[in-house]
Amino acid sequence: MKTARSTGMALAALAAFAAAEARAQEIKVGGIFDLTGITSDVGKPFAQGVRDAVQWTNENGGINGKKINLNGSDYGYKKPEAVALYKRLVEDEKVVMIQGWGTGDTEALKETVTKDRMPFFSASFSAHLTDPAKTPYNYFVGPTYSDALRAWMRWVKADWKDKTRNPRVAFFYGDNPYGKSPIEAGRQFGKEIGVDVVAEEVLPGIVQDATSQLLDMKQKGADYAFTQVTTPNFTAVLRDARKLGLTTRFGTNLWGIGELLIAVAKEFSEGVVGAVPNPPFGENVPGMAKLVAFHQKNHPTDAHDTNYVRGWSYVMVWSEALKRADKAGKLNGEGIRAALESMKDFDTGGLSPPVTYTPADHRPTTLVPLYEVKGGKLVRLQTDEEPRKPEWLGL
Amino acid sequence: MRCGDFRETYAEDMAIFETAFSRRLLAVFLVVLATVPLYATSYWLDVMNRTLIAIVAATGLNILTGFTGQISLGNAAFLAVGAYSTAFLGGRLHLPFLLVMPLAGLLTALVGMVFGVPSLRLKGLYLAVATLAAHFVVEFTVTHWDAVTGGVNGISVPPPRLGALELDNDRRIFWLALPLTVFMLFFAKNLFRTKVGKAFIAIRDQDISAEVMGVNVFKHKLLAFGVSSFYVGVAGSLLAYQAKIISPENFPITVAIDQLGMIIIGGLGSILGSIFGAVFITMLPEVLRLATAAIAGQSPALADLFAPLKVGLFGLAIVLFLLFEPDGMAARWHSIRNYWKLYPFSY
Repeated sequence: MKTARSTGMALAALAAFAAAEARAQEIKVGGIFDLTGITSDVGKPFAQGVRDAVQWTNENGGINGKKINLNGSDYGYKKPEAVALYKRLVEDEKVVMIQGWGTGDTEALKETVTKDRMPFFSASFSAHLTDPAKTPYNYFVGPTYSDALRAWMRWVKADWKDKTRNPRVAFFYGDNPYGKSPIEAGRQFGKEIGVDVVAEEVLPGIVQDATSQLLDMKQKGADYAFTQVTTPNFTAVLRDARKLGLTTRFGTNLWGIGELLIAVAKEFSEGVVGAVPNPPFGENVPGMAKLVAFHQKNHPTDAHDTNYVRGWSYVMVWSEALKRADKAGKLNGEGIRAALESMKDFDTGGLSPPVTYTPADHRPTTLVPLYEVKGGKLVRLQTDEEPRKPEWLGL
Repeated sequence: MRCGDFRETYAEDMAIFETAFSRRLLAVFLVVLATVPLYATSYWLDVMNRTLIAIVAATGLNILTGFTGQISLGNAAFLAVGAYSTAFLGGRLHLPFLLVMPLAGLLTALVGMVFGVPSLRLKGLYLAVATLAAHFVVEFTVTHWDAVTGGVNGISVPPPRLGALELDNDRRIFWLALPLTVFMLFFAKNLFRTKVGKAFIAIRDQDISAEVMGVNVFKHKLLAFGVSSFYVGVAGSLLAYQAKIISPENFPITVAIDQLGMIIIGGLGSILGSIFGAVFITMLPEVLRLATAAIAGQSPALADLFAPLKVGLFGLAIVLFLLFEPDGMAARWHSIRNYWKLYPFSY
């Protein structure tokens, strides 16, 4: 009886110790994903990419042996839900960093994130998140929306052959923080390089009919148009433009162009030029091999796209930062920030442009690969490198 | 079990709590509720704070719709006015907290009275559409008046400060919200024992007779809008402090519809009904979340079904209550209570 009880207690103590050890071997990362909201068409593949990359990392050594525990939830692109989810992740789950998503909620949370010293990776490439003087704990992996717009406008200037006048562009965007993010930068840059911004059209959250905006653009005589929306809304604009017989050439950012655009917009997507910083799935870059292998092993019947690759590239970057912070023994907000700011030209194997963060500049890259939809396929046009101007930091 | 029902004074006749037992039971309940922050996780404290805010807002709507018969779809707008007033008065003008909340309520009451003016000539569905206009006007103002409201980017609300104490987390906000809610509920309950409250009820029941009897119908309708909007404004103020960051996305039209659902399910014309309805509607998504989390281990597809399921169940609940219990949960509560009060002689 006595020996049974004491062995029982010893076993219980051992189990508790083992459980504590197991928990100590875990690194908690929070996830805020859009799986059901208005950006879910691009949000779902991104979230799947993040989850798969975390699983692959855990299967391949983890973070110096420790496993990443990704606690991700859907917030439906609603700011109040994101704020509530953030509160829960930080106060209850005690995560060390967060993989976020949308521009609206990331910009709304930026002061809280700074106060909490919580490294926050967003799938928002808003330039407003790049100035460490204002937002020291916000990061993302890719060129800013503003740089993408500038790269596209440079392409417009080069593509325009008529020497008698400047090319005329129109901006299409939604009345929300994501839509408005690069517009001011675009206006200023247009004046700088000689591209006339003749029209700014505001689109609703879900675009069913863009005829009135397109007719207004036609009246103002735009030769090119840039849309700061996501793929489903962009498809509606392209379809309506074709219906009206417009010859305007359309451009978009990394959320508007991709395999998904070709799949839904089909022939309407022909000729679209946009920023594609993460290669299409299956493209021949060194880092793609592990994605393809994982895909064959775990879900060979699914289709994947550039948004899925983007999710992977994010995990490549922040898991490296976690490794560095863990090695330095500082797995907390400031430690992870220091690890991130030590990354210079970090190579994700071609899954994204090389990433550099410094204490004074959180723009990870100013390289904008431009692709064109030609013959139903994404064809690389050129890779534009925007100058890293200090006055453009935060714009 | 009580025998006989002897009321010997007017005070006894009008009493809110008829027996010492019910008074003591309520006191015990409130004390237990006050201890919840000591052991609840911050997630559940967030849920409870949102429930308290919903209770105050639903009470405000019930005063207007349930007690005075003026259908209003403008609740989300008035919540927004209360919240943004708080953000502006507290954040930009740096007024002390004890001044901000009543001022926000008063501002909302003023806005409510302005949008209540159509009630002079409009009734029922027409008034509902006129208050819907209030919603769109406020939504537009909030989205485009960037200087005051921050536009689509939203605005952050500095936490209320009582001396050296900053109420910056859900636990502390709960200890502010609970006594405030209790006070406002008692005030509302008492309102309908007074002349003004009885004028409201008269207007609901038959406003032409009320006018003939000498009730100044328009003045009281405006007053109903004012009092109701004050309540909703205070709820909005609490919401601003609790959410810490507010944007136009916090106040879609579904909020107004949800609150209308709350008072229908809870019971129109009943303060207890406002409480029941608010708790039911706020807890419904949480209960669903727990249920789907429990089943999600077996079938992850259910997690995707969660969001549409919530909306479906909300509609189903309203339909079922209107069919089987049109007077709401409060009426059901009273009939259950009476059954046990008279047990075993309930025939």
